[in-house]
Amino acid sequence: MLKIQGLDVFYGMFQALSNISVEVEKGEIVSILGANGAGKSTLLKTISGLMAPKSGSIYFDGERIDRLEPDEIVNRGISLVPEGRRIFESLSVAENLLIGSYTGRARQRCGETLESIFHLFPRLKERRATMGTSLSGGEQQMLAIGRALMSRPRLIIFDEISLGLSPIVIKVLYEAVTRINRDGVTVILVEQDVTRSLATASQAYILQEGKVSLEGHPKDLSEEEVRRAYFGDHV
Amino acid sequence: MLVFMEPLINGILLGGLFAVIGIGLSMIFGIMKQVNLAHGEVMIIGSYLGLVFMRLLGIPPLVCLIFVIPCLFVIGFLLQSYLFNRVLGKGMEPYLMVSFGLSIILQNTLLKVFTPDARSLDSSLTIRTLDVFGLLHLPVIYLIGFAGGLVVIALLHLFMKRTYLGWAIRASGDDLGTSKLMGINTSRVYALAMGIAAVTSAVAGILVGMTFTFYPHSGTQYLITAFGVVIIGGTGSLMGTFLGGLILGVAQLLGGRLLGPGFQLLAGYLILLVVLTIRPQGLFGRR
Repeated sequence: MLKIQGLDVFYGMFQALSNISVEVEKGEIVSILGANGAGKSTLLKTISGLMAPKSGSIYFDGERIDRLEPDEIVNRGISLVPEGRRIFESLSVAENLLIGSYTGRARQRCGETLESIFHLFPRLKERRATMGTSLSGGEQQMLAIGRALMSRPRLIIFDEISLGLSPIVIKVLYEAVTRINRDGVTVILVEQDVTRSLATASQAYILQEGKVSLEGHPKDLSEEEVRRAYFGDHV
Repeated sequence: MLVFMEPLINGILLGGLFAVIGIGLSMIFGIMKQVNLAHGEVMIIGSYLGLVFMRLLGIPPLVCLIFVIPCLFVIGFLLQSYLFNRVLGKGMEPYLMVSFGLSIILQNTLLKVFTPDARSLDSSLTIRTLDVFGLLHLPVIYLIGFAGGLVVIALLHLFMKRTYLGWAIRASGDDLGTSKLMGINTSRVYALAMGIAAVTSAVAGILVGMTFTFYPHSGTQYLITAFGVVIIGGTGSLMGTFLGGLILGVAQLLGGRLLGPGFQLLAGYLILLVVLTIRPQGLFGRR
């Protein structure tokens, strides 16, 4: 479904990603792991069109998307739940959700989508009239997920879904991720929380200093291998 | 007491017009965090276009809005698409320089086309006054200006609250990168927002043309009025802009009555200074 080949991305002179290749099959949950600065966020920015690669390519359903604008990429069915949630502060909960269905394809079915999101997160329905930023951290994460789902994506990418949240909330969010996946949406999980992420995923990639240091099925990866791929040989 | 009643009420009424003059500037600052120094010229173009349509078609000034509104929408849209969008994301200075340059070009173009003569959009409403129980005399044109202000602010409020474009405009003002992730083409949203700001300027231009005389260089004067409204009211809220207009209007007319007609503008700027000193974010502004 998503095929990334030989991706090189630069910030000016600094090379943030080198020769990254990632493949995501339809219906999978793929985990992308890595420490701070390993290049996870850069990879996501490149997939969603906020940054352009210097070389390499990204194909989505057989079509090349690495030179498209972010809005075209959303319209083709890739949606990102950004790190830190990024709720729009001057919009209410309902407006934050509705803005997610901005693209033409999603807008026609926004009522139906909204109902399914209220079903997934009933808390959002209760609080739909309040301002988005008045929600608690966990509720804001639900709102960010709901907002991403409003574009009716076929691939949804979660960037640091559990960052700064309590274990109970994280459990609820991961259950939601599994449900979203069961409903037919392919998932990419980008995390620092290795254990939980590997337990959920069917395929994992570990990044280190802008390169893929390890990939494989989570069950086939030994703890030692993961640790070395994550932190490097010097640990 | 009654001596102050008339300037107070007239000030409130005039303030409604001031609010329309300021609302476009406030909107663009709120969304793009940029100051459009050509705001006044765009408005005065609205006044001159009103004059053109009045002469061409022989219609009263308010009816001219049917033609002037779409004209200014297109002008605003094109200015943002082909000029201002090029300098966004490069700090405040390039935008200030471009809009300042644009204001000089527009002023001189108006001077060339329309000569420096004083103009006004005359209609039977312009000179009429409303006599309230023989106590107060309210110029009808002030009432129209106030009503115009209310209508523009109310429509803009509904637009911002009820439409996808309104949400997209507010979202882009909050967080540009995340708005792009929502599938919002932000350059296009900016262009449409500038088009809408120019529509408010069309209304302001017609109302100003009916209320006062105008010249090719009048834009600067109204840019300062707009600054006053925005500074007093604070950016980010439509209600703040409206009340900012009212306060400026009242300050000018009451000040004029107290200190003498020559001090009308000064009284307005004194209030401005006071607000800047005690509440720099504006009376109703956030942060």
